[in-house]
Amino acid sequence: MKRCLIVLFLLMTAGSAVQAKEHPGKAYIEKNGYQGPPTCETQGCHPGTAKMFLDTVHWKHASPVTNVEGLDPGKEYGMKNRIYTMCNGNDIVNNLKEIPPNPKTGKTKFTGCNTCHPGNHISDVGSTGKEAEAAIDCLLCHSSAYDFRQRKPFRDEKGLVVMGQDRGVKAAMAVGKPGIKNCMICHEAAGGGVLVKRGFSFTRETDVHAGKGMVCVDCHGAKDHKIRTGYDPNNWANDGVRVACSDCHGEKPHADGDTDRHVARIACQTCHIPRTGGALAKDFTRWTQGEDGFFEPTTLRGEANETAPVYAWYNRTVANTPTFIGPKGSRADKESRLYPFKIYEGKAYYDRKTGALLSMDFAPPMATGDTLAGVASAAKTLGIGEYDPVPGWQTIYFGSSHLVTKKKALSCANCHSPNGALDFAELGYSAAEVRRLTSAALYFDKMAEKQKEDW
Amino acid sequence: MKRFAIVSMLFAVAVAAAGFFSPGAASAEELKLVGTITKIEISGQDATTASVTLKDNKSGELVTVIVNDDLTLDKFKDHRIVTGDEIRLKYEVKDGKNVSRYFRKTAGC
Repeated sequence: MKRCLIVLFLLMTAGSAVQAKEHPGKAYIEKNGYQGPPTCETQGCHPGTAKMFLDTVHWKHASPVTNVEGLDPGKEYGMKNRIYTMCNGNDIVNNLKEIPPNPKTGKTKFTGCNTCHPGNHISDVGSTGKEAEAAIDCLLCHSSAYDFRQRKPFRDEKGLVVMGQDRGVKAAMAVGKPGIKNCMICHEAAGGGVLVKRGFSFTRETDVHAGKGMVCVDCHGAKDHKIRTGYDPNNWANDGVRVACSDCHGEKPHADGDTDRHVARIACQTCHIPRTGGALAKDFTRWTQGEDGFFEPTTLRGEANETAPVYAWYNRTVANTPTFIGPKGSRADKESRLYPFKIYEGKAYYDRKTGALLSMDFAPPMATGDTLAGVASAAKTLGIGEYDPVPGWQTIYFGSSHLVTKKKALSCANCHSPNGALDFAELGYSAAEVRRLTSAALYFDKMAEKQKEDW
Repeated sequence: MKRFAIVSMLFAVAVAAAGFFSPGAASAEELKLVGTITKIEISGQDATTASVTLKDNKSGELVTVIVNDDLTLDKFKDHRIVTGDEIRLKYEVKDGKNVSRYFRKTAGC
């Protein structure tokens, strides 16, 4: 016992020593101030990092995409140029700008998809060169003392729209590994507000990993700022490096062999993320006016953990049509596993002639509610001369990989019952298989034994 | 002895009934509004609470609420939420004070 306590104490003090290790550049910054990436790269500390960062999704908002059907293999896709109905705009057509004055109030404001970009807007999404390198806002992700009052768009002396940055010494002195809030600056409120897009929150109450003190980059680790991501059918741009539950938990993470057998065809998320959340639907053809006079897309909001997911086979390739973006796969396809998905439906304008989904510049409708003016502005930017806008719906299956639970994970009876979470018939099982799979006979003895042990 | 037992039982029932019907025992009604922040005052030892005043968009009235949740307090401290921001607020009245249960910016990207 005494030896255990000594070992424990040593481990705790060793951990504290690691945490207490200071950023070696602090003295330099305190003396010389912070001028952005040149400061980070001086003294031989982070040489070449800024240039490498320009080749990542966080800077380009796009990448080659190899698992989505219907794409040009020679092009890059992402927030920069995608047209779909969670956002309906993108960095190109909905570039950060000052919107026209609202007729009721006369007020304007700045808005644009690339508000969430770690540059200064002068060096915009995908820009390259020394000026772009110097414009990277390293502290946005790496400082725990960033003053977000600094991160606001404004017009400079030339009338150009600039995104402000905190380049103060206080923020620079607090540099380190990104914390949850650094990521959530952009990823929490994407799609039109907190929890709208993917509907997950990452807190002790909502995710077991957060409850263990983990932060986003513990799973979404990076090398050379290339960040590991999953295979969300609606998250196309990627840095070419992937993350999976099995990276940490292995292929046989359960104490029970029967549960481990499920892993072959059931994704971890299916049992361990029984709920999704976020916006259910949006209508870009009809914007709602707020009390401040500005308009926003009419949105049916939902909280985290409020919505039952849809389960589908997914082999990590994506169906992509103007009316549907979602998983491809089947029971017969051995590469497929069952995953949970958040269903979202968006209404926007389509071109009656081509069937293509049209995009929207948010500035006109945000000021006046005139949605077709937004479509016209976007069409002009994209060089689309003729089109005939008609409203239509698109269904999107979002991946669900957060809101992870251990205690509330699905167990035998949640799926293997007539009123279970899985629609086995829809998933390709025969009537005889469905009868077998939805019977308590599958798990009765095991659960009875467990119940006896628990109580 | 029997009389004592009956009186004790009646007393216990009376106390239980008083507790059941007292304002503090019933779950407080949830109130909500959308409004603009006019003032944020962070206080308490280690800044563990804040008093925030909002102007209700519909009525124009000022409502002051106490905010205790760590995530929102952190957003006040680093100015992710500032005066002038529009907020969706849910709160309840507890011991005569408005206590925030849901405090979220309406704005997104």
